[in-house]
Amino acid sequence: RTPAQHQPHPLEHSWTFWFDSPAAKAKQTAWGSSLRPIHTFSTVEDFWGLYNNIHHPSKLVTGADFYCFKHKIEPKWEDPVCANGGKWTISCSRGKVDAWWLYTLLAVIGEQFDYGDEICGAVVNVRAKQVKIAMWTKNASNQEAQMSIGRQWKEFLDYNETIGFIFHEEAKMMDRGAKDRYQV
Amino acid sequence: DDEYTNAAASRKYSRDFLLTLREQCTDLPVGFEIGSDIADALMNIQASTPHISDREPF
Repeated sequence: RTPAQHQPHPLEHSWTFWFDSPAAKAKQTAWGSSLRPIHTFSTVEDFWGLYNNIHHPSKLVTGADFYCFKHKIEPKWEDPVCANGGKWTISCSRGKVDAWWLYTLLAVIGEQFDYGDEICGAVVNVRAKQVKIAMWTKNASNQEAQMSIGRQWKEFLDYNETIGFIFHEEAKMMDRGAKDRYQV
Repeated sequence: DDEYTNAAASRKYSRDFLLTLREQCTDLPVGFEIGSDIADALMNIQASTPHISDREPF
């Protein structure tokens, strides 16, 4: 055995897993204050060590949110890197979400997107009626980058329905009424 | 720029390659800790793990 066989595989970026539980959210005074960083990883090996020991989305309690964001970017609209950005959203059933969430994570940490620099991270929101996965990006007005990310994301997941992109600044103003600015 | 420079400059891993390492990495990373208040909601490891901390959540 040579030492090289045990060399960990470094990722291009460090990533942080964040978690927001419904119990913690119920007690929070301001949005986002219950959101908690879980661990930051920089190698493929550490990613799997975490992933293999954490509940997959289908096993998370209703109301939970789980995030994977580039290190130092907080998964909040107020973060300076996120503030001018937006998100693509996929809705799915609990039957599909585990595979799609994993494939999303692997594409993101494996730098498979042409506009990977634009990506802030991904989040899975577990709710009673459906589960959503969203990809947050930095510059919502860069249409070319957002369309490329949306198209590639669908390819990686073999997802065939239309997905929409919402600007965070519109989501902030309109709560649930924000409209898709892009679709793919 | 040549291929070697690009490959070294940007660490890209395909899904297939990443999946080959999945089964080998079953232990939590060194230094992993989690508050006892969210461990049940998030973790699927045994309760007797040393990783769970009883500190007050922040």
